[in-house]
Amino acid sequence: MNYTFQYGVVWDNFDVLMEGAWLTFQLGVIAFGGGAIIGLVGAAIKTYGPRPLRLLVDTYVVFITNTPALIQIYFLYFGLPEVGLRWSNEACVLIGLILNAGAYLTMILRAGFLSVRKTELEAGQTLGFSLVQQIRYIIVPHIAKSVYPALANFFIVVLVMGTSIGALIGVDELTGQAINLSTINYRWLEYFSVVAALYVVLTFVASIGLALLGRWAFRVRARIF
Amino acid sequence: MERIIEQLPRFFTLDNMVLLAQSAGLTLAMTAMGCLIGFGLAFVLVYLRQTPGLWALPLRLVCIAYVEIFRRIPFIVVIYLVLFFIQTVTTDASLFTIAVIAICIYAVAYTADIIRGGIESVAQTQVEAATAMNFSRLRTMVTVVLPQAWPVIVPPAIAFAVSFIKDTALVSQIGVFELTFRGKELNNQGFSALLVFGTIAFCYFLMSFPLSMLGQYLEKRLGTPRGQRSARSIRNG
Repeated sequence: MNYTFQYGVVWDNFDVLMEGAWLTFQLGVIAFGGGAIIGLVGAAIKTYGPRPLRLLVDTYVVFITNTPALIQIYFLYFGLPEVGLRWSNEACVLIGLILNAGAYLTMILRAGFLSVRKTELEAGQTLGFSLVQQIRYIIVPHIAKSVYPALANFFIVVLVMGTSIGALIGVDELTGQAINLSTINYRWLEYFSVVAALYVVLTFVASIGLALLGRWAFRVRARIF
Repeated sequence: MERIIEQLPRFFTLDNMVLLAQSAGLTLAMTAMGCLIGFGLAFVLVYLRQTPGLWALPLRLVCIAYVEIFRRIPFIVVIYLVLFFIQTVTTDASLFTIAVIAICIYAVAYTADIIRGGIESVAQTQVEAATAMNFSRLRTMVTVVLPQAWPVIVPPAIAFAVSFIKDTALVSQIGVFELTFRGKELNNQGFSALLVFGTIAFCYFLMSFPLSMLGQYLEKRLGTPRGQRSARSIRNG
C-alpha cells in the first residue's frame, strides 16, 4: 500500500462539512418528528381503530418495511415528475424518510400501546379523566417507559442510515458534501474517514441528549452506550 | 399514465425478467454471504470481548469500540471507505467482493450485540457449574452456553439479515449489478420511473416478506425460554 494521507484539504473545507452535518441533523429531526406523528396515529388506529382502517395501516406498514428506503425515495424523486409533481431533492428525501420512519415507528409504538392495559384506562374514566388527561397521564407514560430505548435507537438509525440516502439524489448533507468535495480533488479516504468520525460524534451527542431528555421527561434510564 | 400502459409490453419481456431475476439473485447472494461471514466473525468478537483478566482490557475496549463506532457510521460511508481503501491495496478486487466486505463489516457490528444479548440471557449458574466441572472457557461456550443461547439469537439475527436485503440497495452506488442498479439502468433506457421502481420495489418485497414471516414464526416458536413457555401462554390465554 503506497498511499499518502493528506488531511490538509479536509481541514480547509471543514466548515463545508460542518454545514453538511447541520443539515443532516435537521433532516434527521424533521424526518423522525414527522414519522413519529404518523407512527402515533398508525399505532392508535392499529390498537383501537375499526377494522378497515386497521387493514389500511397494516398494508402501509408491510409494504414500506419490506422495500428499501432508497427505492421509495427514487420512486418519489424520479417517478413523481412523470405525473407533473416537481419537488426539490430535500423535499423528496424528507417525505420519503417520513413515510419510511412512520411505518417503523407504527410498529415500535404499537408495542407501547399494547402495554397500556384496558383496566387502567377504565380506572382513569372512573376517576373522571378526560380523553386528553387519559393520554397525558396514562398512555404516554406507559409508551415512554416501554418503548423509549427502541425509539432512541431508531432516531439514531434515521439520523445516520436515513439521511445519508439523501446524498445519492444530490442533497448536500454530510455524506453528500463529502462526495462533492472528494470529486474535486480525489481525497476520498481522507474525506470519508473524517465524515465517519463526524457521524460518530453527531450520534453520540444525539444519544446523550436523548438519554438526558428521557431521564428528565419520562424518568427512563436510557442507555447511552 | 398512458405512457406506462404503452410501455408495459416492452417492459415485461422475458429478457428483462431474466435480468431482474439475476440481479435479485445477486442481491440475495451478497446479503447471504456478507451476513453469514459477519455472523461468524461477530461470534469471535463477542468471545474476545468476554475475555477475563486485566491484561485483556485493551482487547475488550477494541471490541466494544468497534461495535459502537460502526453502528454509528452510515452504510454508504462504509462502502466508500472500503472501496477506496481496497483500491489503494489492490486494483483487481471485484466490486462484488468489495460489497461483501462492506456488508461483513457492518453485519459484525450489528449482530455482535444480538449475540451478546443471547449469551447474557443464559443463567450465570450454568457457566459456574461448567467452571466447577473444570470446563475450559471455549468448551463452556460451545457445549453449555451456545445451545441455550440459540433460541434467543436466531430470530433477531434473521430479522437483521432480512432488513439487510433492503440496505444492500445502497451498494448500487458503487456499480454492483444488483436490483437497484438494474432499476436505474432500466430507467435510463427510457422506461417510466414509476413502472421501473414500482417493479423493483415489488421484487424486494417478494424477497423480504416471506423471510420476515419466517423470522416472526421462529420468534414465536423459539422466543420463549423453555421454562417460561407455559407461563407465557397462561398469561396470554
